Amino acid sequence: MESERADAAALGREALAYADTLYNLARYLTRSPTDAEDLVQETYARALSAAHQFTPGTNLKAWLFRILRNTFLSHHRHERHNPTVGGLDTVVAVAPSPESARWLRGDVELDRLRKVVGEEIERALESLSEEARIVILLDLEGLTEVEVAQVVGCAVGTVKSRLARARAALREKLRDYAP
Amino acid sequence: MTCEEARALLLDARRGRLSAGMQAALDAHLAGCAACAHENAADALLGEALEGRLPQHAAPLALKRRLAASWSAGDALPSPPPVARPTAPSSARAAWGARWRRAVVPALAAAVLVLALVPLYYRQAGDGGAGMVTEAVNDHLRLLTAQHPLDIESGGIHQVKPWFEGRLDFAPVVRFEGDADFPLRGGAIGYYLDRKAAVFVFNRRLHVVTLLVFPAQGLPWPRRGLERIGPVEAQVTASRGFNTILWREGDLGYALVSDVDRTDLLALLGKLAASS
Repeated sequence: MESERADAAALGREALAYADTLYNLARYLTRSPTDAEDLVQETYARALSAAHQFTPGTNLKAWLFRILRNTFLSHHRHERHNPTVGGLDTVVAVAPSPESARWLRGDVELDRLRKVVGEEIERALESLSEEARIVILLDLEGLTEVEVAQVVGCAVGTVKSRLARARAALREKLRDYAP
Repeated sequence: MTCEEARALLLDARRGRLSAGMQAALDAHLAGCAACAHENAADALLGEALEGRLPQHAAPLALKRRLAASWSAGDALPSPPPVARPTAPSSARAAWGARWRRAVVPALAAAVLVLALVPLYYRQAGDGGAGMVTEAVNDHLRLLTAQHPLDIESGGIHQVKPWFEGRLDFAPVVRFEGDADFPLRGGAIGYYLDRKAAVFVFNRRLHVVTLLVFPAQGLPWPRRGLERIGPVEAQVTASRGFNTILWREGDLGYALVSDVDRTDLLALLGKLAASS
């Protein structure tokens, strides 16, 4: 029992190092500081109660992300009316309008992307579906596609296509902030 | 290679995940396809914007304290199996005592763990370095909250370093140019305690890493808890959720602050110390 207690304490110390990362993800998922705090706190509570299920030597960060994502989904199912949700895995891509396609192809997009500021990226990201937000954010956190697949519970190939579609959707959203 | 196949490989290519053959095939396609070349450029710019400009939200300190306290309390551990203790059935007082022990002893143990672990997680710097660590973290926070944190946007170290000439009464010695793991974002003039400092801002993925360079003389440098890291002796501390590394080289002092993992910060220190 003493060694279990020591292991849990060590795991706790390691897990707490990810508080900022988890909170950041929670902020972008919930879009609310208060909800993000609640989500992170519940994530740690669930991790705490499942600490004995964690396999030492595996990716603790990915394990915590998975718990956070599952916790979020279990509490925020009602948000899943966003039309973009589900669209990321569709086989047929939604064709952009001719005007959109022209804008996306033109140098104006490259200029805009060079000048886009943090607040605009934040707003654009927050306007995406939770599915798109999470793959973009997990990818930015440096998780491999295999790890992202474990977190979101899908195939690696699906992660790849979701990420590509999510990034394309983000570029499209950033168009709305063009001057 | 079709455009569809090429576009599916763009992100992997930029991250160096393609085999040499695939990379060559993709390069050949991009050289002859303006549309895919544009897609590649736009997605690369999107990546730069996300990694360098997307705001990062740090967990509030109060939340971190609550998390540390709750984990330290050991709630995660399965309840120990009840130990059969011979109690006199007729002795209500003895039974109450046993119940009291079962309730209070774990609580006391949890309290001891809290007292032991929370200071460990939020430990402050040792004697002399405490004020210096606090100041370094404050400078980092000021930079994070500033509307225009950078006086000079990075076009590389050879653009940033000369910018300091004439603005400081010392020459900051930083030869590390930044790399893919720690891109240099830019620089600024800051103040560290009672003196001017050169501020270099690096990124680690989405995290901001602040490097302060300042004259070392006359500061209460820590003398205990120093670690030999490459060619320098440094003090590595965690304070208010930020990792901080303090070290000196010659007449200059350095403070490296970020919320990235300790190992990441040490990796950057290794690059800075090796090249300075």
